[in-house]
Amino acid sequence: MSAHANALSYDAAPAFSTPLRFFLTAPLFGVAAGLLLLIAPELLASRWTPGALALTHLIAVGFVLSIMVGALFQIMPVVAGAAVPRSGPLAALIHAGLTAGVASLCIGLGVGAPDFLVAAAALLGISFALFLCAAAWGLWRAPIAQATPRDLRLAVAGLGVALMLGLTLAMVLARGLPVPLVTVLKLHIGWAWLGGVGMMLAATSWVVVPMFQITPNYPARLTRSWALATFAMLALWSGAVAAEWSGAALLFGALLVALAVVFAAATLRLQQHSRRSNPDSTTRAFQLGMTSLLAGVACTVAAHYSEHEAWPILAGILVLHGGFVSVIQGMLYKIVPFLAWLHLTQEGIRAPNVKKLLPDTPARRQLLVHAAALAALVAAAASGSADLGRLAGVLVGLEFGWLLANLVRVVRAYRGALPA
Amino acid sequence: MTKTIDGRGLEPPKPFELTMEALADLKPGEQMTLLLDRMPWPLFRILDRDGYRHSNQVRDDGVVEIRILAP
Repeated sequence: MSAHANALSYDAAPAFSTPLRFFLTAPLFGVAAGLLLLIAPELLASRWTPGALALTHLIAVGFVLSIMVGALFQIMPVVAGAAVPRSGPLAALIHAGLTAGVASLCIGLGVGAPDFLVAAAALLGISFALFLCAAAWGLWRAPIAQATPRDLRLAVAGLGVALMLGLTLAMVLARGLPVPLVTVLKLHIGWAWLGGVGMMLAATSWVVVPMFQITPNYPARLTRSWALATFAMLALWSGAVAAEWSGAALLFGALLVALAVVFAAATLRLQQHSRRSNPDSTTRAFQLGMTSLLAGVACTVAAHYSEHEAWPILAGILVLHGGFVSVIQGMLYKIVPFLAWLHLTQEGIRAPNVKKLLPDTPARRQLLVHAAALAALVAAAASGSADLGRLAGVLVGLEFGWLLANLVRVVRAYRGALPA
Repeated sequence: MTKTIDGRGLEPPKPFELTMEALADLKPGEQMTLLLDRMPWPLFRILDRDGYRHSNQVRDDGVVEIRILAP
């Protein structure tokens, strides 16, 4: 049995506005991605066109990364008891830099404007350097014995690597930096997918899945070793890719694929043992997310053995939109009402029930549109149909607009509960 | 007799709500015990602010046990 005194700083919890500013602007990048696809449905035909790169980064950085940064400010104090000092002004500064940086990056990639790419590299580089310092400060003070704080540290380090590789790529495109483009690109994708987002997803899932979906805990040996093994394997794979040892790169790549499959399969298995009688929207979103991740991994393997251009595009859609976006939307539907409730309670205000702050029906309907958007994206990429591409654009714009409307609904209920 | 709230297996913020209700009924000098699946960091902030004394321990079976003493 272990006991400890309250030595950690849990008294500096951030204001509701700290994560909220990220959560409320991130869906706008998703709406922009939908509009871009509506205007240019041919972007799904090739992954290397400037427009396709802009589309990917609107979702990957504008939505996924923005939410993750905002969530980390809140996750650290709630699950690890570690808060960042002066998180409000710091988050505002990081949010401004991140938002301007993503816009600049997408303009730079989309229209091939080198100056915008340099501006994006500077804005994103400074914002993330600030964020990494803040996260390191908070996580360094968290108890290392817990799997989540330790794995969040690894995820933050993984994000840092992905960012450095991304900044290098921006400088290659903008200023012709003499580095091997394809190698850096491969490493950037690997670290962004598994080192950053995948690791962050796993670290938060260790807590959030059992907590909100009423499942048993993940097996201890998985939470103890998954992130460490993934980080080590990414490092080995990177060495092999950089040294152009194709056999070793293939072996380590296969082991990374196996690790991704283990995480997704373990999550799906836990959900089967949920004590919930009816799966709610978040549970459904996680099921869609994990199934899509598995399908995306299968497409990644297929892309290795087939020259067909559709496989890597399908892998990207299934992992990014089907996997990460599904899970993040599902998590937002738990985290935002919970935070609204928590902040009201901490202010000594009698808070409405979380189900009143956001009922399940609007969340479920929005997630159905999200699933339809995923199906349209997959069909458009597989068939090359411009009409399906336009339909996917409309549905993507609609799903993110609706997500924003649902989040605003919670904020309005929160404000309504505050004393006049 | 010390009151015990068993919040294990309940979806957040239900254990928090049960605790807040129980705290409201706690008389000065009375104690209560919470059994939870994880460490309730946000609750500690409220307990500190309102002058409750508290201690916590993680049992060998992973259950987090919180003891709260009303001011």
